[in-house]
Amino acid sequence: MIGKEKALEILKKALSYSQADQTEAVLLGERSYLTGFANNYIHRNVGSEDYQFNVRVAFGKKIGAASSNIADEESIQKVIKDAETIAKFQKDNPDFVSFAKPEEAKFDSKLGYAESTAECDAEKRAIIAKKIIDRSKKFGFNASGTVETATQEFAVMNSLGVERYAVRTVASVKGVIMGDTSSGYSKESNIDIDKIDVEKVAEESVSIADKGRNPEPIEPGKYEVILTPYAVAEFISHMLYLSLNARALKEGSSFLINNFGKKLLGDNITMFDDGFSKLTIPMPFDFEGVPKKKVVFFENGIAKEVVYDTLTAYREGKESTGHSLPQPSPYSPYPMNFIMQGGAGNVDDMISHVKHGLFVQRFWYTNVMDPRKLVITGMTRDGLFLIENGKITRPLQNMRFTESIITALNNVSEISKSVKVVYDMAPVSVPYLRINNFTFTGKTEF
Amino acid sequence: MQDIVESALLSAKRAGASYADVRIVEQEVEEISTKNGSVDALKRSYTKGFGVRVIFNGAWGFSSSFRMTNDEAEKVAEEAVAIAKASSMTKIEDVSLADIEIFQDDVKQSVKINPFSVSLSKKINLLLEADKLMKIPGVIVRSGSMYFLSEVKTFASSEGSYIKQERIVSGAGISSIATDGREIQIRSYPSSFGGDYQRKGYELVEEYKFLNNAERIAKESVALLKAKPCPSGVMDIVLGGAQLALQVHESAGHPTELDRVLGEEASFAGTSFLTPDKLGKFRYGSDIVNITADATIPEALGGFAYDDEGVKAKRIYLVKNGLFVGYLNSRETAKKLKLEPMGAMRAQSWNFMPIIRMTSINLEPGDKTLDELIAGVDHGIYMDTNKSWSIDQNRLNFQFGTEIGWEIKNGKIQDMVKNPTYTGITYEFWRSCDAIANKDFWHVWGVPNCGKGEPMQTMQVSHGVAPARFRNVKVGVLK
Repeated sequence: MIGKEKALEILKKALSYSQADQTEAVLLGERSYLTGFANNYIHRNVGSEDYQFNVRVAFGKKIGAASSNIADEESIQKVIKDAETIAKFQKDNPDFVSFAKPEEAKFDSKLGYAESTAECDAEKRAIIAKKIIDRSKKFGFNASGTVETATQEFAVMNSLGVERYAVRTVASVKGVIMGDTSSGYSKESNIDIDKIDVEKVAEESVSIADKGRNPEPIEPGKYEVILTPYAVAEFISHMLYLSLNARALKEGSSFLINNFGKKLLGDNITMFDDGFSKLTIPMPFDFEGVPKKKVVFFENGIAKEVVYDTLTAYREGKESTGHSLPQPSPYSPYPMNFIMQGGAGNVDDMISHVKHGLFVQRFWYTNVMDPRKLVITGMTRDGLFLIENGKITRPLQNMRFTESIITALNNVSEISKSVKVVYDMAPVSVPYLRINNFTFTGKTEF
Repeated sequence: MQDIVESALLSAKRAGASYADVRIVEQEVEEISTKNGSVDALKRSYTKGFGVRVIFNGAWGFSSSFRMTNDEAEKVAEEAVAIAKASSMTKIEDVSLADIEIFQDDVKQSVKINPFSVSLSKKINLLLEADKLMKIPGVIVRSGSMYFLSEVKTFASSEGSYIKQERIVSGAGISSIATDGREIQIRSYPSSFGGDYQRKGYELVEEYKFLNNAERIAKESVALLKAKPCPSGVMDIVLGGAQLALQVHESAGHPTELDRVLGEEASFAGTSFLTPDKLGKFRYGSDIVNITADATIPEALGGFAYDDEGVKAKRIYLVKNGLFVGYLNSRETAKKLKLEPMGAMRAQSWNFMPIIRMTSINLEPGDKTLDELIAGVDHGIYMDTNKSWSIDQNRLNFQFGTEIGWEIKNGKIQDMVKNPTYTGITYEFWRSCDAIANKDFWHVWGVPNCGKGEPMQTMQVSHGVAPARFRNVKVGVLK
């Protein structure tokens, strides 16, 4: 990787070449490795190191952007020149006020960094994969999955005085166990690969596949459900870009419009974003260099606030909450460390409270049917079970659900104390949920 | 360039690789997006690097770098071999590749108007003029976008392939989102999610005549707010091309990818109901359903001259007269099933290992006109332009939503309906297809964002389709 000193030196150089009123330079680097396995052997094993050197310049309210994956002297000058040329052809953006203004913030630039992840080699990844494969073989299954490590560098500098650098690591181990009639899923993510309990991943994914053998069909309809954190994350993630940000307010997709201070979700629902929380893969600042602020979306069901980047904040005379994506982005701002507060239950107790319902290990291929009402459709996958009189009794064939996130979060009767980080591009930390009247609308053949 | 190729291949060989290939990719992209009368984003990006894929001790390894030096090429090749060595710790059998013809070639792409030679102000002005035409009461978000790509890719293998290919891609679209404070409705042109994309120059943008269509879609987005909800029930549907393209994509393209079928994508994308025992035997659709994979269609987004294993582009049948007859494959998966490699291996860029991807997957045209399709429906819905999609991991149960629909009664188009949706099981749906519009209605739609693989790769693919009619489909999941 490049390291703090070199990264900031590149950005400083970029600023020095710019003739613009304001200039922002960002260097994003990632060294990533993925060991993929399927049919009980490693079939894909890849490594990559790449950088994105992004520049934005502003002449008045005209903004231009350019980027390159090469940050040598010649490229730096070319990227600055390209951004300047683009800006000159631009029309004014009336919403633009300024790039990020500097603010005091103290944090450890290695807050989310673990040496063990950064140094993990191909052999160590293969040993982890083999543990899951070996467990799967004992049950006559085919193991699939991934062992991933990434070291990510973030450096931001602008002509107003912002200067930030951080490095973090992310490791994930996933098992998807395939049987003739069933499948099972488990995934753990952590900044430190040595803190991932590989045996637990193997155990959970294999045991779900084992319990899921010979599933029976069930008719669609309304069911009480226990959703694992995997299912909860897949379901409610759509809310993050459709509702919980300032862009969604302006563009009309958010159900929070004109509803702040009102109780929109159940009393037991509290959700927030916190880049410094121990419940997430931490990130001290955003891609404009603004330090992360804790943003509470819902407190006991009452709508409180949403996330902002500089464009959406400054135009309203507010401060950015530190939630910009790499700019320019049509999806910014975005909650990058979403957390749903845990409750008091544990999953076994939650199951014991269900008289007739379903246990959903995972949802898959979800998509939005109605953005304002947050109606989502998708399939169950890798484990669907019937719960009768407080016990999981038999495996079921997969079904399609079509349900509103708002409705579902008004029907939550129990929340687990434990909150799990589900990492897929960005961390989403959520508990198990028990939800009444969850709507299933179709079925499939397996 | 040649130095890097030679250094990587020699280094891989020295380290003991039995096979190696190198891809050097250089991509330049220009993206423009406008929103509500101003330029939302305007960006030029550039990437260049190389990836080395090796087989060592019968297992795969891949590594890549952006540092374009001979020393780095040697280092990356060595790392690819070290990674392959680790892969072999779990090996069950040696990787084996089907034989292919070896080519040395230099493929250029000619376009009428090089999109990078057109001034930014001309592009911006066109989008902002379209934006202005969409500014009518009720419309809350007016947006437009253009995308241009110039790519040069060099592929070389230890078997002697040396192929350089050029690609130029253009894409553009506009959309209007309307609200009445309670709901939002969207209309797009010429298709949703960024419009249409083809291997063409700026002429694509001019052909689409955005200024003739901007006001119409704005009015439609507002009209949808007051339109009646799509009825629910089992009825006939006619799908327009922009929607049918995605239906083909999800229910014909993905399930015929042989890596999925063999379980290699089980960890993420899933598997497929089209298992090898069904090849040549399974009735996928009605007799009139013919689906091809054709990378040779000029200007199609999913087309090319050679894939990323150096296999020359081909046209094959996936479904012939309703029977499932073919797979999209790689050299490795073709060998496993004793099939001919058909050239479907592609990688997003230099830093990704190629995987099986759709090329241009096409529903071949039928013999009807659109009016004839509609005239044959007593009660049903004509739906077009995709709004949402979802399908299970075996590619059986699907549910789609479209931006707009019109009720059909007694063979005639009637009222506009909002939030149309339909759902079904793939083979039941295609078996219910009883009419397809003719070649005059056939168009190859570009889909620029097909996601697959781990690490996730985004691929540009395409689908040639004409509107088609389906009988007895479950319509209207939303109440």
